[in-house]
Amino acid sequence: MTSRPRLATDVNVVNGLAAVALFAVMAYVFMTASFTRPSGFADGSITASIGYAMFGLVDQAAIESEGFLVAFEIIDVLLVAALVGAVMLARREGDSGVVTALTDGGRRLRGDGGSDSTGDGTDEASTDGGEN
Amino acid sequence: MAIETQYYLLLSAAVFCIGVYGILTRRNALIFLMSVELMLNAANINLVAFSFHHGNLTGQVFSLFTMAIAAAEVAVGIGIILVLYRNFEDVDVTKAATMRW
Repeated sequence: MTSRPRLATDVNVVNGLAAVALFAVMAYVFMTASFTRPSGFADGSITASIGYAMFGLVDQAAIESEGFLVAFEIIDVLLVAALVGAVMLARREGDSGVVTALTDGGRRLRGDGGSDSTGDGTDEASTDGGEN
Repeated sequence: MAIETQYYLLLSAAVFCIGVYGILTRRNALIFLMSVELMLNAANINLVAFSFHHGNLTGQVFSLFTMAIAAAEVAVGIGIILVLYRNFEDVDVTKAATMRW
């Protein structure tokens, strides 16, 4: 079952005005601030310098930077912890049989579609999706 | 001719505010994750822009670490959304109003 994407009509536009106001304030501040000319990078390979900086070999890099070896190792541990945590969260308890993937896009694959609470016209999308 | 730094800041503010708009207006948890990703990438634009502004590569390297943290955040977020869907049969963030069920 497929359904074509629809324009969301349940958005809370009044709350969104806060984001627009935030952009207006930030744009005003940035455009009225005075910056010096960007100094740019020194000659040399930027990519190689990034690699040297990540492994703490800043004396070999062509472009000035700080060493990031400790941060690199900490991020490594963080990524492993997050991925293991995600697998632990997503593992289905109980049935050890074949697990079917959730391919319904977050909605129940039922004929009536009555549990759809967003009310953005997805019921119609599921019915007329076959003809288009 | 290098682009002035404030235009990078303007682009970053635009991307960030699109993310804030998405979080404030939508109710789908997956769209929340996408909006948070937009806000993190706006911060990355700032880091890279100021890295060029000062001629120092620290900002560019730091934006790589920000991307790694964003990946970890999305992994945990997708896991939480899976559990949310399993318990509430919906990914509407307003449905999950209790800490336990």
